[in-house]
Amino acid sequence: MNAELVLFWLFAVGTIGSAVGVIFVRNPVASAMSLVASFFFLAGIYVLLWAHTIAVLQVLVYAGAIMVLFLFVIMLLSLTDTGPIAHVSPSRIAGALATAGLLVALVMAFRKLPSSDTVSWASDAGQLATFGTIKQLGAVLYTQWLFPFEAVSLLLLVAIVGAVVVAKARV
Amino acid sequence: MLNTPNFTLAEFMTVVPAAVLIVGAIVLMLSEVFLSTANRTYMAVVGLVASAVAGLFALNNAFEPARLVLQGFAVLDPFSSFMTVMVCLGTGLACLLASGFLKHRNAERGEFYALMLFAAAGMSLLAASNEFITLFINLEVLSVATYALTAFLRRGPRPAEAGFKYFILGAFAAALLLYGAALLYGATGTTRLSDLATALPGAMATRSGLVYAGFGLVLAGFAFKVAAVPFHMWTPDVYEGAPTPVTALMSVGVKAAAFVALVRTFLALTHGLDPQVPFALFSLLALLTMVAGNLLAMPQRNVKRMLAYSSIAHAGYLLLGVTALFVPPSAKAGDAGGVLAATPLLAAGAVNASVYKGILFYLLGYTVTSIGAFGTLAAIERREDETRGNTWDLERLSGLAQRQPGWAAAMAAFMLSLAGVPPTVGFLGKLFLFSAAVDAGLIWLAVVGVLSSVAGTYYYLRVVVYMFMRPAPADAPAPFRHWTTEVALVASAIATVALGIVPGPVAEWLSRAGMVFGN
Repeated sequence: MNAELVLFWLFAVGTIGSAVGVIFVRNPVASAMSLVASFFFLAGIYVLLWAHTIAVLQVLVYAGAIMVLFLFVIMLLSLTDTGPIAHVSPSRIAGALATAGLLVALVMAFRKLPSSDTVSWASDAGQLATFGTIKQLGAVLYTQWLFPFEAVSLLLLVAIVGAVVVAKARV
Repeated sequence: MLNTPNFTLAEFMTVVPAAVLIVGAIVLMLSEVFLSTANRTYMAVVGLVASAVAGLFALNNAFEPARLVLQGFAVLDPFSSFMTVMVCLGTGLACLLASGFLKHRNAERGEFYALMLFAAAGMSLLAASNEFITLFINLEVLSVATYALTAFLRRGPRPAEAGFKYFILGAFAAALLLYGAALLYGATGTTRLSDLATALPGAMATRSGLVYAGFGLVLAGFAFKVAAVPFHMWTPDVYEGAPTPVTALMSVGVKAAAFVALVRTFLALTHGLDPQVPFALFSLLALLTMVAGNLLAMPQRNVKRMLAYSSIAHAGYLLLGVTALFVPPSAKAGDAGGVLAATPLLAAGAVNASVYKGILFYLLGYTVTSIGAFGTLAAIERREDETRGNTWDLERLSGLAQRQPGWAAAMAAFMLSLAGVPPTVGFLGKLFLFSAAVDAGLIWLAVVGVLSSVAGTYYYLRVVVYMFMRPAPADAPAPFRHWTTEVALVASAIATVALGIVPGPVAEWLSRAGMVFGN
């Protein structure tokens, strides 16, 4: 068992464990904090996949900005931790069945993947040295994907204006 | 080392109309901040001018040869350029309608027009997109702008409900589309539509399940945007709850842009698939949408809801045109019975050109007619009615011919055009579209279309009967008159009748639309 595998299991178990915590912890703030932990472990998995930039963005955007929003909402609504966690209803059973079906489908799909990785730390070090770095991402984003990139700036502008229009006092 | 793209100036022609619209929107937002005049009618004029300039640029683009531009992320072809012209026409008219409507409610703000122009820019870019991520982003631009516009006026619970419903369901549909695109990327390794077309036959051999799943999810996402049955549930509530000028823009612009994107996407996605599959799916969607749209519109006494269901029915007629593009070439005359039988009468190339022309002319006719119909409703609708439950009840139109003979005549023209009665543009649109479908071999589907549109005549003519043959109620409120509203109504009424009598030059231009890139 090499170091990569040890780290992978650490991050994978951490991700799933804290995700379970999100659902089963009664206190909403603790639940949100558990989600932060899950995001951090997921960022670790991204690093193992050579997606350094995605890992950093994961921490900055999800664990940082979005979780602050979550906590704001929890505090503004002053949610309490009353009520049972699990109660059985037809829609929940249907949801559980759908989830189980998705799990089976995913397991079957992953069993078909090639068993060994096509790139490895040792042999493809040259290729992997630049893969997933900010520099390479920027080069692709600002040359090859220029048009969609500019379209995103329009989308953000429209989203800001739209949010202000919807949130303003009634006209 | 950087692979710097080498753009030529001519490549940017395809985004010039959108750029003009965006500049207009920014001017409007800034003028709201820096000009503190109480009279904001100039904003509608700015919106109209921006739409007109953008429309002229798009019209110029329509006579350029079709080609890929911006590294294959966009196309410049007559099909998308003509669509942009129609979007600009619809946006300009909707801006004029909005002016009187908002003034009456003391709600005229620069952001409203800015969002309209942003939505139009998104539509124009969506029609030109040739790559899934670009397509998704531009679809979101127009959707986000229309979500915000839907909830712009918040009087009573209805607009908020409409905005929220539209947002949640729209986000869900966008997610379906994105998931489908991701599956197709997984199967082929590309998101560019022109590359997908070449990669799909190979992918079908090894991963046909992924391709079909992606195809279905993308189709469901688009079906939601064009309000095809059974993905139409949101339409009546959203159309009713949105401010009426916004409903007018949604019924013409969003739908037209989504149709162009749908045609472009599926021209690429049907490569390598069994041609029977897309044909059967589109036939089924067209059949359900035409029949259900007309049947659901019939019992409506609420004219705005009735027009919402009618817009579903019109999407069905357009889907009939789309189906005609995907008629399998090898279908034998005696092979399949019933509605799905296909017996092409003409060579495929000639048919496709007339189908594109039919779709575009139909969209043009629907644009001027629908803007006019919703515009008349917006003009009659009184602010005091908002607290009552029956703002758009048929009774509100009673005796309109005595109270406002001009408006009643215009509304009658719009209703006849929606029903497809000559000499209006709606009749010619249906004629072009249905005859193209028959040429493609969709005889039974076209018969169903004609029959369901005959059934539709009932609820359109009922509006005319109420306007001309019922006495006006004693408490009929005087309408709020504003010159912008009247200009927009007169313009769309003239266009509705004139295009129905002399379609000549316009129909000639639209024949160029057969030059669709990738066809």
